[in-house]
Amino acid sequence: MTDARQAPSSRALIERSLKRRNAAERRFRLYGVLAICVALGFLALLLGRIIQQGHSAFVAHEMSVSVPLDPSRIDRSYPAGANYDLMAAEQVGALLGISPTDEAALTEVREILSPDVGLQLGEQVRDDPALIGQTITIHAPLGDDADQYLKGEINRETLEAQRVLTDRQLDWIDRLEARGVISSALNTGLFTRGDSTQAELAGLLGAIVGSALMLLVTAAVALPIGLLAAVWLEEFAPKGRLTDFIEVNINNLAAVPSIVYGLLGLAVFINTLGLPRASPLVGGLVLALMALPTVIIATRSSLRAVPPSIREAALALGASKTQAVFGHVVPLAMPGVMTGAIIALAHALGETAPLLMIGMISFVPGVAEGFTSAASTLPTQIFIWENAAERAFHERTAAAIIVLLAFMILMNAAAIFLRRRFERRW
Amino acid sequence: MTDNLSHAPAPAVTAASSGRAQNVKIRARGVNVFYGAKQALFDVDMDIPDRTVTAFIGPSGCGKSTFLRCMNRMNDTIVGARVEGAITMDGEDLYAKGLDPVLLRARVGMVFQKPNPFPKSIYENVAYGPRIHGLARTKAEMDHVVETALKKAGLWDEVADRLSHPGTGLSGGQQQRLVIARAIAVRPEVILMDEPCSALDPIATARIEELIDELRRDYCIVIVTHSMAQAARVSQKTAFFHMGRVVEVGDTETIFTNPRDTRTSDYITGRFG
Repeated sequence: MTDARQAPSSRALIERSLKRRNAAERRFRLYGVLAICVALGFLALLLGRIIQQGHSAFVAHEMSVSVPLDPSRIDRSYPAGANYDLMAAEQVGALLGISPTDEAALTEVREILSPDVGLQLGEQVRDDPALIGQTITIHAPLGDDADQYLKGEINRETLEAQRVLTDRQLDWIDRLEARGVISSALNTGLFTRGDSTQAELAGLLGAIVGSALMLLVTAAVALPIGLLAAVWLEEFAPKGRLTDFIEVNINNLAAVPSIVYGLLGLAVFINTLGLPRASPLVGGLVLALMALPTVIIATRSSLRAVPPSIREAALALGASKTQAVFGHVVPLAMPGVMTGAIIALAHALGETAPLLMIGMISFVPGVAEGFTSAASTLPTQIFIWENAAERAFHERTAAAIIVLLAFMILMNAAAIFLRRRFERRW
Repeated sequence: MTDNLSHAPAPAVTAASSGRAQNVKIRARGVNVFYGAKQALFDVDMDIPDRTVTAFIGPSGCGKSTFLRCMNRMNDTIVGARVEGAITMDGEDLYAKGLDPVLLRARVGMVFQKPNPFPKSIYENVAYGPRIHGLARTKAEMDHVVETALKKAGLWDEVADRLSHPGTGLSGGQQQRLVIARAIAVRPEVILMDEPCSALDPIATARIEELIDELRRDYCIVIVTHSMAQAARVSQKTAFFHMGRVVEVGDTETIFTNPRDTRTSDYITGRFG
């Protein structure tokens, strides 16, 4: 009976501790939720800031101006030599009531316009000299400073001397906009032009093409080599010191700072092998070296996930080792391999440091023509624009980041899709 | 007289008298197997007769699966495994330098504990072996090979109308028969079965046992089993393994009714194992 009197105390003890345990559990759940909230908060802050800065770059102001091509001012034997910018500025000046003889004012008008107006005029006359004597209408982006003013980035309250635009220029821009000469439209130039020193003419096409060419090289080099290396290590290599050593070093390579790969690329591919600097070929090779360990590790783990019973089944039927591996194991591991590969490529897409080392910070105006011509890439373009002084490049930097993030989200989504679609359960 | 007996669908009763004189298909002498430093089998001697079901029984870890896997050299695939001694099939040394294990495995089929169909269609599962060995030249020939193998495995009637469905979608018992059909399709001489019914329910087990009894007419069958009742039902010869040694080999009838060794009788009567 003494036992029976002691027994309820154990129940009481448990009840007391239960309260404590439940409280601890609630507390830990709360910590977890807080951690997630903090992480999401930072993510939202980052994305919000980038979008807030960059969204305006996807819209740009443009201007349409009709310019009579006065035959007396264009030398038919050398039409490119004519001062089209001035002719356009005179027309805009006429709209604003500025006399063609007021050179100071016309110079200020030209600052509102983009040099693209003169370039377009010159090109059209060169292509079709019969246009001389007629009046043609040009649609061109507005100068970057004027564009920034209309987007509210330049404040009238600031002292005139501390602004890139004078009071007079601001008035003109307002009047031109009120008359409908300036309108805002989707900034297609961002995706159809290469880099330029003129912010309003700078686009991402060169960087997108450069990144694409580079990733092609990376994929073509890293995927087959990584796959074969992983298959050999996982399925064929004799287990021993040597394979352990190789495995440890592959894991180490995955942790090597990327700038070191850039130095390696500079020393080996450019200096020793003499491959062209700043080319997608060299960039792709460097990124392939970086992606290799990731591809190998991902491939090995998905090979390991294929149950041994499948290997045994094939071997017991008299399949050779190679037939068993390439006929059964590798196809079953493929979704995992592709997922790993895409993630490695997405990582390579955003890599900047090694590309700086191999000369990809140089200013490349046009679009790369091939794997060996100089090219810019998305991350290095962001780096270059970030360093530019003009205000307009700031929003373009953010816009380039948005484009880069969009590509990455796309690639990661593809990886998730592949995993969901082809994942197998045993 | 012995010849007649071996071909007749002999009831187990006759096994006692017929077993001794049958053709020996696989002969093992002084077989030692090591996994690294650990020895798994000690001096195993055994004669496995053709067109007979030989059962290996014994407690877990006694070496019966190890010995089974010596006969198609599946132990080669295990790192650190080493086989000593002589194993011959029809007088041919299975561990001879010039012998290709790939050829051997085409002659000695194997069925595993857990059904392991390839995650492909039923047809592809059966056709895989003949295809890699080049046993069927045309589509029609292959269709015939697949149909014959599935019929022999007693699965044809259940799957004839869905050959393109995945083999992994079948029930456990059907999967195991599919795997047997896959092994038969290569036209082996010996079929090794490593606890083929341990993952199956009693009804599926009964079907597999019936199948084993039918296959005995054409093949030399060796089956590892944990169920003594199963060994008694399907086999004509039984070998009892204990601690890596063969304690006793003999006609199933004798082993179960009149074992020579006390360890055998202890195991059979359930005193250990």
